[in-house]
Amino acid sequence: MKADRTSFRAPRFFRHGVSEMLVTAVLIGLALLIVLPMVLPWLFVFKTQLEYAYGPWSLPKHLIVDNFVEAWESIQIGQGLINTFIVCLGAIVCTIPPAAMAGYVFARFKNRYTEIIFYAVMAGYFVPVQMVLVPLYKMSSKLHLIDTLPGLFLPMAAFGIPFWVLIYRSFFRSLPADLVDAARIDGAGEVRTFLSVMLPLAAPATILALILVFIGAWSDYLLSLVLLNDQSKFTIQLRVSQFLNAYGTDRMPRYAAALLISSAPTILLYCVGYRWIIRGTLAGALKE
Amino acid sequence: MRRSLQLLLAVLCLAPIGARADGKVKLTVWGRDLLDGAPDHAYVTALVKNFKAKNPDIELEYVSLGDPGLSDKTKIAMANDTAPDLVQSWGGSVMGGYADAGRLLDVTADLASVPTSAAARLAMSWKGKTYGVAPFFAIAGIFANEGIFKKFDLKVPTTIDELEKVADTLKAKGIQPFACGAKDKWPPLAMYMYLVNRFGGDAFSQAQGRKARFDSDPFVQAAQKYQDWVKKGYFGPKPLGEGYGDAQQQMATGKAAMHITGSWMCGQYSNPKFTDQTLGFYAFPELKGGKGKATDLAGMTDIGFVVTKKAEAKKEAAVRFLKYALSSEAAAVEPGRISSVPGVKAPSRMTGQAADVFGKAQTVQFWWDQDLPPAVTSPLNDTIQTFFLANTTVKASLTKFEALVEENMGAVK
Amino acid sequence: MKTRTKTKLRRAAFVIAFLLPAFAFLAVFLYYPIEETFRLSVMKSSGLGKDVFVGLRNYAKLLQDDDFKAGLWHVLTWAFWSIVIQIPLAFTIAFSLTFYKNKLTGPLRAIYYLANVLPSAITAMIGMLVFSPGYGIINRLAEAFHLTWVTEIDFFGNPSIAFWTVFAVATWAYTGFPIIYLMARMEQIPTEIRDAAELEGVSGWKYARFIVLPMVAYPIRILAVLCTVGSLKLFDLPYLLTKGGPGNATTTLGIILYQQGFINWQYGIAAAIGVVIFVLSLGFTVLQFSASAGKDSYEG
Repeated sequence: MKADRTSFRAPRFFRHGVSEMLVTAVLIGLALLIVLPMVLPWLFVFKTQLEYAYGPWSLPKHLIVDNFVEAWESIQIGQGLINTFIVCLGAIVCTIPPAAMAGYVFARFKNRYTEIIFYAVMAGYFVPVQMVLVPLYKMSSKLHLIDTLPGLFLPMAAFGIPFWVLIYRSFFRSLPADLVDAARIDGAGEVRTFLSVMLPLAAPATILALILVFIGAWSDYLLSLVLLNDQSKFTIQLRVSQFLNAYGTDRMPRYAAALLISSAPTILLYCVGYRWIIRGTLAGALKE
Repeated sequence: MRRSLQLLLAVLCLAPIGARADGKVKLTVWGRDLLDGAPDHAYVTALVKNFKAKNPDIELEYVSLGDPGLSDKTKIAMANDTAPDLVQSWGGSVMGGYADAGRLLDVTADLASVPTSAAARLAMSWKGKTYGVAPFFAIAGIFANEGIFKKFDLKVPTTIDELEKVADTLKAKGIQPFACGAKDKWPPLAMYMYLVNRFGGDAFSQAQGRKARFDSDPFVQAAQKYQDWVKKGYFGPKPLGEGYGDAQQQMATGKAAMHITGSWMCGQYSNPKFTDQTLGFYAFPELKGGKGKATDLAGMTDIGFVVTKKAEAKKEAAVRFLKYALSSEAAAVEPGRISSVPGVKAPSRMTGQAADVFGKAQTVQFWWDQDLPPAVTSPLNDTIQTFFLANTTVKASLTKFEALVEENMGAVK
Repeated sequence: MKTRTKTKLRRAAFVIAFLLPAFAFLAVFLYYPIEETFRLSVMKSSGLGKDVFVGLRNYAKLLQDDDFKAGLWHVLTWAFWSIVIQIPLAFTIAFSLTFYKNKLTGPLRAIYYLANVLPSAITAMIGMLVFSPGYGIINRLAEAFHLTWVTEIDFFGNPSIAFWTVFAVATWAYTGFPIIYLMARMEQIPTEIRDAAELEGVSGWKYARFIVLPMVAYPIRILAVLCTVGSLKLFDLPYLLTKGGPGNATTTLGIILYQQGFINWQYGIAAAIGVVIFVLSLGFTVLQFSASAGKDSYEG
C-alpha cells in the first residue's frame, strides 16, 4: 500500500520550498482562526458568575469547578447516556445502509425511472424540520411510536437518508466504470459487486457518514423534544436543553459549562474518528 | 393448564385498567423549571416534592422543558390533542386560544373559594371561566441601582421629566441609563406599555376593543418618546446588539443604572452571587399632563398552571394540585417572585418593594403579546423593536401594525 | 435471448431491492408530512380548530409581506454568497492541503472540520462571545488597541451589518465540510497525473485550474446544491444569534416559518412558506443536475 510517493521521498519537511512554507503559514493562520474562538468559553467557565461579569477575558483568579458540577448534576448524564447511544446507533443503522444502497443504484443505473425516484428521495431534504413537526407527530402517533426510542431514530433516519444518498451517489459516480466491468467479468453478481468492490471503495463516504450521523443524532434537539414525553427516555442533548432553557444565557459560565459537557462526547468521537478519515481517504486514493 | 392461562390473561387485561389498580391516580405536569433546587427553581422543586409526600394516592410526574421548549411542545401536543394533565402557563390569550379550542378544563367552581389576588385570577381566566391558578404574579417596574443613585446624589424619579434628567446625568457620568436587551425583541415591550399608558391612559384597552387605532396619538407619542430616548443614547451606543442576558449583566456590574422589566428578576437581582450592586424596585414614573397614573401597572402571571381536558376524569386530583400550588405553604419557599397568595411574606427587600407597588395597583394590564390574539404576537414585538432604529418613522410602523390587527381582529368601529 | 431477459429481471430486482429501504423510510415518515404541508398551505389553520379553505390567499399575503420578502431575499443572497465564498475558499484550502502534503495536513484538516462538528448552540454562543458589544472579544481587543472605529461597529444591532455577522459565523462553522468533501475527491486523483504535471513543469496554479478543477466539478455541483438547499432552510444560527433581527435584517424563510407556525398560530401561512422552500429547493436541484445531464461519464 503506497501512500503519496512524494511525501515519503522527502527528507525535508517542506518539500516544495518557499511556496509551500508560505501556503502552510496561511493555512496555519486559518486554523488558528478556527480554534481560537473555541478557546473563549474555557477562559471563563472556571470563574464565578460575578468574576465573569466584571472580567470575562482575564485569567481566572482561582479555578473553580462549580459550574461543571452544577451542570453535570442537573443534566444527570448517566440516565441519558444509554438512551442517547441507542438513538445514535439506531440512526446509523437505519440511515447508512439504505443511503449507500440507494446512492449506488442512482449512480450506476441512471434512467428515467431512477431519476424520478431520486428526486422523490431528495424531496425529504427539501423540507424544513419545523414544518413537519405536527404531521410527523400525528404520523408517529398512529404508528404507536410516540415516546419510544425507535420513534426517535426512525424519523431521524428519514431526514438523514436524502443527504447521504446524494453523497454516496457522488462517490460512486466518481469510481471508474472499468472496475465494475472487471468485477462482472469475474462473474460476480450485482450484490456481490456492491459488497466486495464498491462499498469498500466508498469507504471515505462511509466513515464520514458514521461520524456525522452519530453526531447529528447525538445533538438532535427538536425531534427529541417533540417525540419524547417520558423523562426516563430523554437523551443527553434534551437534558442539556432542559438545563439551558431553564437558565438562559444570564449566567454564561454555567451555560458554557453545560454546553461543553454536552459536546465533549462528540468532540472526543471526532478526535478518535478523524484518524479513520485520514486512513479511509488514503485507502480511497490507493486504487490505482 | 388452560384455566390458569385464562386467569393469567384476565389479570393481565385488567392490570392496565388500574391506573388505579394500586389506588394511584397519575398526573402529568409539564413545566418550565428544573427540579434542581436552585434558587430560581426553589418553588417548583418544593412544590413537586411536597405534593408527592402529602398525596400518596397521586403519582405525580413532572417534566421540565424550559423555554421555548415548553411552548413549542405544548403547541404541538394541543394541536394533536395529546396534552398532559397540567401545563405551566402564563394564562392570557395563549391560554385563551387553547380554551376556545376546547382543550382546557373549566375549574371555575372548584377554585372559587380559594383566595388569590384579583389580577391573578383574571389572568388565568378566559371569557368568564377559570382554567388554572397563578401562585406568582409579575409586574413590570424600574430596577434602579440605588448605589449609583446615592453616589451621584440622585433620587429615583417619579415623573418622566425627572427620569429624563436622571438619565442625562447618568449619561454624563459615563453610565448607561437604561439596560434593555432589545436584540431579543420582547424586552422593550414593558417600557412601551408604560409609555402608552402614561400618555393615553387606557389607550391599549381601547385599541384592543377596536374602539381606537394602534397608530392613534398615545401610541405614536409614546413611540416617538422611545425613539428620542434611543437617539439620545439612553440605551447605550448599541442597544440592538444587547440581548436580555447582556442587559442583566450590565445591571449586575453597575454599567447600567436602570432596567425596566418584570419583577421575576427580583430573585436574581437580590442574589449576591449574581450581583454585588444594591438594586431596588420602583414603580414607573408618571407623565405630567398625561392620562396614566403610577398605579396603572403592567403585569402578568409569573408562574401559573392550567388544567387540560385530559384530566377530566381525574379532576379532583388535578384540583388538589392547583390548590396546593396556590397554598401559602408552597408559596413561602419562593425567594424572589411576588406571590398572589394572601399572607405570604415577601422573601427579600426587593420583592417587598415590588409587592408594595403591586399592592397599590388600581389597574393591571397584561403583557400585550399575551393579551392580543397570537397572530399579531411577533409583529407587535417587531414593531416595537423598530423604534430603536434611528431612521424609522414610528407612525408608519404603527400604521402597518394596525393594518395587521384589522385583518385579524376587525377594523375600528 | 433468455439470459438477456433474465439478467434484465435480475437487475430490475436488484434496483428495486436496493431502493426499497430508503424509499420506505421516506414514504412512511416524510411523505405524509409533506402532503400535509401542501394541503395546509391553502388553508387558514391555527392547528387547533377547523381548517378553512382559502385557496391561494396565503401565497398572496406572503407576496405582499415585507418580512417574507426580506426572508426570501436573505436566503437567496445567503445561497449566492455561500457558493461564491465558501466553495472557492474550500477548494483553495483543500487543494493547498492536498498539493503540499506534509505532516501538518492531517491535523489542519481535522481542525477545519472541527467547527462543523459543533452543535449550533455552541456555535451561536461562540458567535456572541466574539461579536457582542461590550464584552465581546472583538470589542474588547479593539478597546485595548484603541481602534475606535472598530469599537463603534454594532455587529448584531446594525441592520446593514447584522446579516454579514451571522454569515461570517456560519462560514466559520460550515466551510469545514466542503473542504473535507473536496479533499476526499482530490486525493482520489491518481498520483501519476500529478507527477506528470510536475515533470512537464506545470505550475501549481495551472495544475489546480486546468487539471484538478475539472475533476472535482461534479462534487462542486453537489456542494452547490447542498449550500443552496441548506440556505433555503436556514434557521438555527440567525435565530439563536439575532432572532432574525434587528427588525427583519437577518430573518430567513425558516425563521418566519417558525414564527408563523409556533408563535403566531398561523399554520396555513407557515405551510405556504414551507411549500415555497420546497419548490425552490426542488427547482434548483433539478436545474443543477440536468445541467450535468450531458456529462454522463462515469468518471464524473
